[in-house]
Amino acid sequence: MKKRYLLLSLLLIVALTLVACGGNAATKAPKPEPTKSSEAHPTKASEPPVASGEKFRVAVVLPSTITDMAWSQALIDSLKRIQEKMGGEDKMEIAYTENMWNVTDAASAIRDYADGGYNLVIAHGTQYGASLFEIAPDFPDTSFAWGTATDTGKDKGVENVFAYEARAEQGGFVLGVLASALDKTGVLGVVGPVEAGDAKLYIDGFAAGAKYDKPDVKVNISYTGSFGDTALAAEAANTHISAGADVLTGSAQQVVGAIGVAKEKGVLWIGTQSDQSSLAPDTVVASQIYVWDGPFQDMINKHMSGVMGGETYALTLENGGLVLKYADWADKDAVAKAEQVKQMIVDGDLNVMDVIEGKAAPAMSGDEVSTGATRFEYPAEIKPVRIVMVLPSTITDLSWSQSLYDSVKDLQDHYGKDVIDFAYTENMWNVTDAAAALRDYADSGYDIVIAHGAQYGDTLFELAPDYPDTSFAWGTTTNFGADEGVTNVFAYEPRADQGGYVLGVIAAKLTKSGVVGVVGPIDAGDAKLHVDGFVAGVHATKPDAKVNISFTGNFGDTSLAAEAANTQISAGADVLTGSAQQVVGAIGVAKDKGVPWLGIQGDQSSVAPDTVVATDLYDWRPTILAMIQARSGGVLGGKVLQLTLANGGQRMIYSDKLPADVVEAAKAAEKGIIDGSIEIKAEPR
Amino acid sequence: MTQELTFAVIIIGILHSGIRLATPYLYAGLGEMFDQRAGVLNLGVDGIMLMGAFFGFYAVYQTGNAWLGVAAAVLVGIVMGLLMAVVSISFQAEQGISGIGLYMFGLGLSSLLFKTMLGTVEGVQGFSELKFQITQNFSLYDIPIIGPIFFNHSVLTYGAFLLVPISAYVLNKTTWGLKIKAAGQNPEAADSLGVNVTTVRYMTVILGAALAGLAGASLSISLLNIFQENMTNGMGFIAVALVYFGSWRPYGVLAGALLFSTVNALQLWAQVLNLPIPSDVAVMLPYLLTIIALAMPFRRAAQPAALTRPFTRGDN
Repeated sequence: MKKRYLLLSLLLIVALTLVACGGNAATKAPKPEPTKSSEAHPTKASEPPVASGEKFRVAVVLPSTITDMAWSQALIDSLKRIQEKMGGEDKMEIAYTENMWNVTDAASAIRDYADGGYNLVIAHGTQYGASLFEIAPDFPDTSFAWGTATDTGKDKGVENVFAYEARAEQGGFVLGVLASALDKTGVLGVVGPVEAGDAKLYIDGFAAGAKYDKPDVKVNISYTGSFGDTALAAEAANTHISAGADVLTGSAQQVVGAIGVAKEKGVLWIGTQSDQSSLAPDTVVASQIYVWDGPFQDMINKHMSGVMGGETYALTLENGGLVLKYADWADKDAVAKAEQVKQMIVDGDLNVMDVIEGKAAPAMSGDEVSTGATRFEYPAEIKPVRIVMVLPSTITDLSWSQSLYDSVKDLQDHYGKDVIDFAYTENMWNVTDAAAALRDYADSGYDIVIAHGAQYGDTLFELAPDYPDTSFAWGTTTNFGADEGVTNVFAYEPRADQGGYVLGVIAAKLTKSGVVGVVGPIDAGDAKLHVDGFVAGVHATKPDAKVNISFTGNFGDTSLAAEAANTQISAGADVLTGSAQQVVGAIGVAKDKGVPWLGIQGDQSSVAPDTVVATDLYDWRPTILAMIQARSGGVLGGKVLQLTLANGGQRMIYSDKLPADVVEAAKAAEKGIIDGSIEIKAEPR
Repeated sequence: MTQELTFAVIIIGILHSGIRLATPYLYAGLGEMFDQRAGVLNLGVDGIMLMGAFFGFYAVYQTGNAWLGVAAAVLVGIVMGLLMAVVSISFQAEQGISGIGLYMFGLGLSSLLFKTMLGTVEGVQGFSELKFQITQNFSLYDIPIIGPIFFNHSVLTYGAFLLVPISAYVLNKTTWGLKIKAAGQNPEAADSLGVNVTTVRYMTVILGAALAGLAGASLSISLLNIFQENMTNGMGFIAVALVYFGSWRPYGVLAGALLFSTVNALQLWAQVLNLPIPSDVAVMLPYLLTIIALAMPFRRAAQPAALTRPFTRGDN
């Protein structure tokens, strides 16, 4: 009996490892024999960087096979093209090991290759990173490369590692536009492997692209949990077709199963990674192909010139690393539409990541009303800076604190950690604690110290003279300390009355009962501005509408805010708005009762996507950059920085649930505020 | 424009997928059940499936005849089974190890053959899904709900389900079935009663392997109509687990295969319907359920007493 259970557990382990863990294949031999050439292994010490004329030796560790029609094949195809260009097998050798789903096996293969004197050892999978950084320092004359990744190990002191990634969301976006243009049923199906890496990027891009073209298209996504489970991928494709999909896509080597189903059922397939059209020429309508030639040619050149690593590469539409191939029978109009979007991405007019993250309002169909707002652009270069934030709530509060954190984080993601270094302290509702934190930070040499709340002002003016080289900032306020005689304090103020006005217009358009409700924290700062603008917007659009305002007297009392929302609804309100981190409670109530919510400060749509129909998002990036640039010009403070609709400090997000005429009215209001034709006057309360 | 997803559409989708997905598990699981009832544990099922899948596919690819594909798959299964039998019965090698060896062999050889003989993934016209056209205007497929669930599968799927009662009959109602069970329960006693244990074991291992080959073919020429390296993705091991799950009984294997495949279909739908379950959790469901079902106390049926024990005449 005992033996049975032992055996059974063994079986389960084997089966689960093979199937569940995304294992896509098994090793053909437990120990790989990497070096295929017959020459004796040179020792690593005597192996110099390859000299011109000598054979360049490349070794690749692959997670699947070179015929997978996907991830691995795309790389090998590229390397073979480079080999041809370099003069054939005499000039460049390619050795590879397939099916290295076991990371330990892969690690020993990587080490063997490096030991065997290969010039460039490629570990073609995110999962190999940890091993690579262990091995690379032992072979300083060998170049290593891995992807999808952006980490070259610089901060670990590793200098001979290249990293590469495919910005698959770009091609995915274009193909999403194509798919929705080809689609007739209104449903698209996606067969994904696991929700990570380039597969996730591709699928996110695809879904965003489809909705960009046709906001009401349904994109059904299913992940199989495996890269190589062809049968499950086929079943997933069948499921999508049953659910009405007439255009399918998917990624990883598993998709050959899904393509077979697509072919049999006569639906269209869109491929990625490798060209899959050979499998079903009449089914595969388009493919995004990874062309790794550029990055790897550059790595080889760098290696030959003595640079062993440190570079990060990305395949993009712009640099030709992502190539889109359309079947010649593909619908011409749909292809033209896709190509138009592709051009926008190449020209930099459309940032796919921003669309995915909801930062840029998707708009293609329908008339785009230009509001005249400044579109955010990253300055090409900024001076390295260290920023610290003292926050009254948490970076996940979906409102005041999070909006600042997200903006600084975005800048760091864009410029890198060595340009923007930041720290923060949350929940500093106690002003005395905050004062201590602010002094500590100033002491430890931060360039910009942000006290994110009107309550921190007194402390700041005491502190600032002691640290004349540090810039301080606080808000919501317009007081930068001119009276106190300090010169190194910035004041900032979100002009929430502007966004509030636009939200008011929307509320007036949406309300049927003629009653709208506001759940505010305290009647001060940007919350007050928001309410002022909101009331003005409502009354400008619908003079007889009633605006009920309730302040909870608190920023963080979620249950009280919920109660407030309940009360508002009982009182007949059928549109709600409100500010501060407390509002998540109110949004929950709005969702339950089916009442639309208009958000401000942070993007709260994640709480209730169907309920949050519009948002006035604080975008702090222009403000932060203004401080950084002022410092570069020797100005450490003494300025009021406003977040307005015109300067991009506030950005309106409209959900696709919002009727077109409402969005139009809202955009007209935006335009009016920006060009000055609308003047917002606070009504007495 | 969006097609309304009615409850019926979803139920039909789940059940239809569940039945279809069960096909390879049934062939492989029932075959393995015969092996184990005779006392031989064959862990090489996945390797045999891959070989069957490749040869089945290649035969159809060359000739266009799906039935030749079935024949090729069964044939290569027999060869692989013979190999397993020689090693584990005649040479009395440790069954667990020789099975894994056979798996590696099948995996490697099918990949190698694929690379040299095909080189790239291709498609074929295999068995398609039947509609049971009775008269000009009426097919069984047209029966509401029942039709789309049960009368829209390929002949290999029906074959797999038909194999369940056949297996039960052979095992329980025929002399040969009795001999199999005797060889697996008490080979010495069987031998003393004139049963040739070695022959019985040879036959069951070869039968099991032939069915495993067919299981592979059901993937490559019926469900998917393609061949790709390691396309079974560990299904053979799941099949072995299903034999334990089904307590070495044909209907038990059927229940296990259906549960596993239906939950798999269910999780796919759960994702499509956007149920608030992370995809990682959804794909875990079938395995989770299998583990729970295996852990149930009432399932503790006796396994063949001589399982994995080699037999030598006059050894005692």
